[in-house]
Amino acid sequence: MKINITRHHIYMITVSVILFLFVILFSFLVLIPEGKEYRQKRLALKKEFKEYYKYENYHDETVAKYKELQSKNRHIITAFDSIFNPQRFQKQHKNYFSSLILSKLNREKDEDSFAVYEVNTTSKISSPTNFYDFLDAVNKSDWIIGVNFPIDFQRDGEMIKSSFTMKVYANNKDKNSTKSGSKAK
Amino acid sequence: MKYSYVKPRKKTPFTPEFQLIIIFFGISISMLMTTYIFLLYKNYTFEKDKMRIVNERLALQKDIELLNTKIAYIQKQKALAEKIYTNNTVLRDSIANLFDLVPERITLSKAQLLKNGLILYGITPNKDVYNFMLQAPLRSIFQKTYTSFYPAKNGWLHFVSKNYMEDDTTDDEELTNED
Repeated sequence: MKINITRHHIYMITVSVILFLFVILFSFLVLIPEGKEYRQKRLALKKEFKEYYKYENYHDETVAKYKELQSKNRHIITAFDSIFNPQRFQKQHKNYFSSLILSKLNREKDEDSFAVYEVNTTSKISSPTNFYDFLDAVNKSDWIIGVNFPIDFQRDGEMIKSSFTMKVYANNKDKNSTKSGSKAK
Repeated sequence: MKYSYVKPRKKTPFTPEFQLIIIFFGISISMLMTTYIFLLYKNYTFEKDKMRIVNERLALQKDIELLNTKIAYIQKQKALAEKIYTNNTVLRDSIANLFDLVPERITLSKAQLLKNGLILYGITPNKDVYNFMLQAPLRSIFQKTYTSFYPAKNGWLHFVSKNYMEDDTTDDEELTNED
């Protein structure tokens, strides 16, 4: 039996085999590895997103905590940022004294990384109650002020002459300039 | 010379069978190529998105660190301010208690409040009034109490009462100098 294969058929078979081989090789050598990479990258991205959302939630919580702290302690934060002004202090507290004299502000050793200034005060009061009211008012003043020992009271006619030291606490501008000046996201 | 009246059919290599093979493989290869391009594009976007997410996460991380520093600083400010406010309040109460302690029959001329002590200068009708009405409560507060008396012009007694807490060391010297 003689098989009659024409030249045209041989061309067709050759082209078919070449194309088939191309399809097979392309699929196994290029497409499947690329598919594997696609799957891995998709998984990695999913994992990265999960991690990102975790950070985002924590960030939101931290911002909320920061804002809450900021709003609850606004007076303290502003007071630490304020520069002590003796004239303004005298004006605000003169009602408690018959006379109030403040010495020059002296820079003391830092405490807890806060700048500390000391100011000596001599004053005259008509009754100890004025001094109690003054101590209450100091806690609500525009600065963070601690009244320190020694405190002297001396009778001066009908008045009481008092002298004491006040420590004014403020942000250490050299160290905390970024902390006090920065804003939340 | 013509051998046939029929016009010869034009021969072409693109026979219907060959066209079928070409269409079949054409469709297959174009599908493979489309898939390949899709995968390439997706891999590129995944990589880009991942880079973006990583950068955003790092920025968040930095921001969280900064916020935590600020939170710690505010808490530090708050703690110090509260300590100072409490000290001021305690001081006010201490002074109020001191003045409440002094009986009406004794008149103070000077009072020095020290960190760990109290020095009182005043006048008393006699030693007994001082001892019973002022020294007794002072003794209950301070561990060391020293009193000296000297006569006043009107027959009463001037007194200087120095009272110290047990751990007082530094102010002692300071007071001696003042005297």
